[in-house]
Amino acid sequence: MSEIELPMSLEELEVYFEEELDEQLLDFKKERIEKGIDKNENKFVWMRVEKEAFKDAVRAIAKIQTPHLSVTSGSDKGEFVELIYHFAVNFSYPGEETTINLKVHLPKDDLTIPTITDIVPGALTTEREKQEFLGVDVIDIPDDRRMWLDEGYPEDKYPWRWDEKGMEDESRHVHENEETLEEPIAERSEKEGGD
Amino acid sequence: MSGEEGTTYEVPIGPIHPALKEPFLIKFKLDGEEIVDADPHPGMNHRGIEFMGMHRNPMKVIPLSERLCGICSIVHQHMYTTALEHAVDIVPTNRARYIRTIMMELERVHSHVLWAGVAAHEIGFDTHLHFTWKIREKVMDLLEKISGNRVNYSMWTFGGVRRDITEDMHPEINETLDYYLGLYDKLEDIFLGDPSIRHRTKDIGILTEEDAMELCGVGPTVRASGVKKDVRIDQPYAAYGDLDIDYVVPSRYDYEDVGDVFSKTLVRLKEIVQSINLIRECVEKMPEGEITSEPNKAALLNKLKSAEGEGVGRIEAPRGEAMHYVRLTEDNEDVDCWKVRASTYNNLATYAPMFLGEQIADIPIIAASIDPCIGCMDRAEIVDVNTGEKEEYTDEELHELSVQKTERMSGGIDE
Repeated sequence: MSEIELPMSLEELEVYFEEELDEQLLDFKKERIEKGIDKNENKFVWMRVEKEAFKDAVRAIAKIQTPHLSVTSGSDKGEFVELIYHFAVNFSYPGEETTINLKVHLPKDDLTIPTITDIVPGALTTEREKQEFLGVDVIDIPDDRRMWLDEGYPEDKYPWRWDEKGMEDESRHVHENEETLEEPIAERSEKEGGD
Repeated sequence: MSGEEGTTYEVPIGPIHPALKEPFLIKFKLDGEEIVDADPHPGMNHRGIEFMGMHRNPMKVIPLSERLCGICSIVHQHMYTTALEHAVDIVPTNRARYIRTIMMELERVHSHVLWAGVAAHEIGFDTHLHFTWKIREKVMDLLEKISGNRVNYSMWTFGGVRRDITEDMHPEINETLDYYLGLYDKLEDIFLGDPSIRHRTKDIGILTEEDAMELCGVGPTVRASGVKKDVRIDQPYAAYGDLDIDYVVPSRYDYEDVGDVFSKTLVRLKEIVQSINLIRECVEKMPEGEITSEPNKAALLNKLKSAEGEGVGRIEAPRGEAMHYVRLTEDNEDVDCWKVRASTYNNLATYAPMFLGEQIADIPIIAASIDPCIGCMDRAEIVDVNTGEKEEYTDEELHELSVQKTERMSGGIDE
């Protein structure tokens, strides 16, 4: 592809990613939403790539403009964990900014993803978060310490997992905790004089 | 971390400090007075709100989302509702878009005025803290008049808002805007003109344009470095696409895009005027019509319980870009996935380059310069890594260091 000219339209982005990623691009969806009386368009791209081509996809985005990574969302979808990297390109061009939602599926038996901090240094916070909350192993992450969860939180449990490694059970039965059962709630509020 | 030739100290600052809102810890490595490394440790009070949201139906998450933050409660409510509206194709009415914009800009005025007070306090100007926090009451009164609440406004709903801004409110809105415009010169005189404040903010805590871009920083923190990123302009939401708005960067006002604390102050002050103009424009242009496109909440909730879709809500919060991601699935009545990203999350990474090479007495003002939505320091503990001896600083003592520096620097200034 020749020199990239900014801002890129959704159609140009589609052609660009098809050329860059070829068969590794599994899914590509363009989306426009109108806002306000003047009908300004908000532009979105939803795309999914093969896990092997993930880093190439990030490199392709980085070629467009110094990428802005908003955050990485992640969720447990049963058989696999889905990560969505929310990038923004075309910023600094009024009305043209496009959110690129880059999806990648990680099978439960191989929960690994390469780090992108060599391309986007600002991605470190969100990569550390994904390690803690979903149990995804970020390969070559420059800093793999725990960031958000309490030190006492079990090492092999992950709050956003819905399988046996999640914390579903603990959170659902907090009210059955022995300490709270010692004294019925009605008696306690009477003693404190409150409602 | 081992000390180099016995001169490097590790100084954990945090996690509790009454000057800022939430608990937060930064571990500093010092060589004498000079900072050689800064390592932020968030998560001191991780409440797991996203997890809670993923166990509630979509309607119940609206009030939960505004409780994410005390100052930008509107911001999170807006992001959550727009992300969900995006996911299930709900179109808010145009009148609602304007009301939302007015509320969000009022909140920006509130947040920036509050920040100016915190910044003044950190360098020892408590008179200015009391002045700014006094004038901040006016906008809170107006927010209360419109929404019924001073802090958690409960204004948003899917498809629009819950309360109208009627014509009889216009005089009070205009009066409030005039009040701030009348005080603006004084604010600028204090924060940009005062020689002592200039000495404490100029060329302190610099974030270069390159670092700002690479570290994905957001908001006034990066605009002060000359980075033109503002979601209100780049990807206009609510009514911003209809309004006259431009990037607030120092070079627009004949200043250099340095990225120091002074530039960040300048950007925030100029944004107060920008917000006032935007609110005026909204009040003038506000179209007639309904305030929500989904008046039947019970029917809507029923629909949402089996709806399928995903959406993102991005916004330029007072502290910078923030976003929510929401997904609903057919077989899950609750919100299936909810990711919240506040501005400070991205700006955390910008701390390291800003602190590097600065002095210990500058820690409070640099920490405050990104307008963090987290607490700062209650107690600083200085550990000699070679002997393991500990020395404790209370927040007052650390604050005193900062105040003393201001006094030292004010000493040689000709007024």
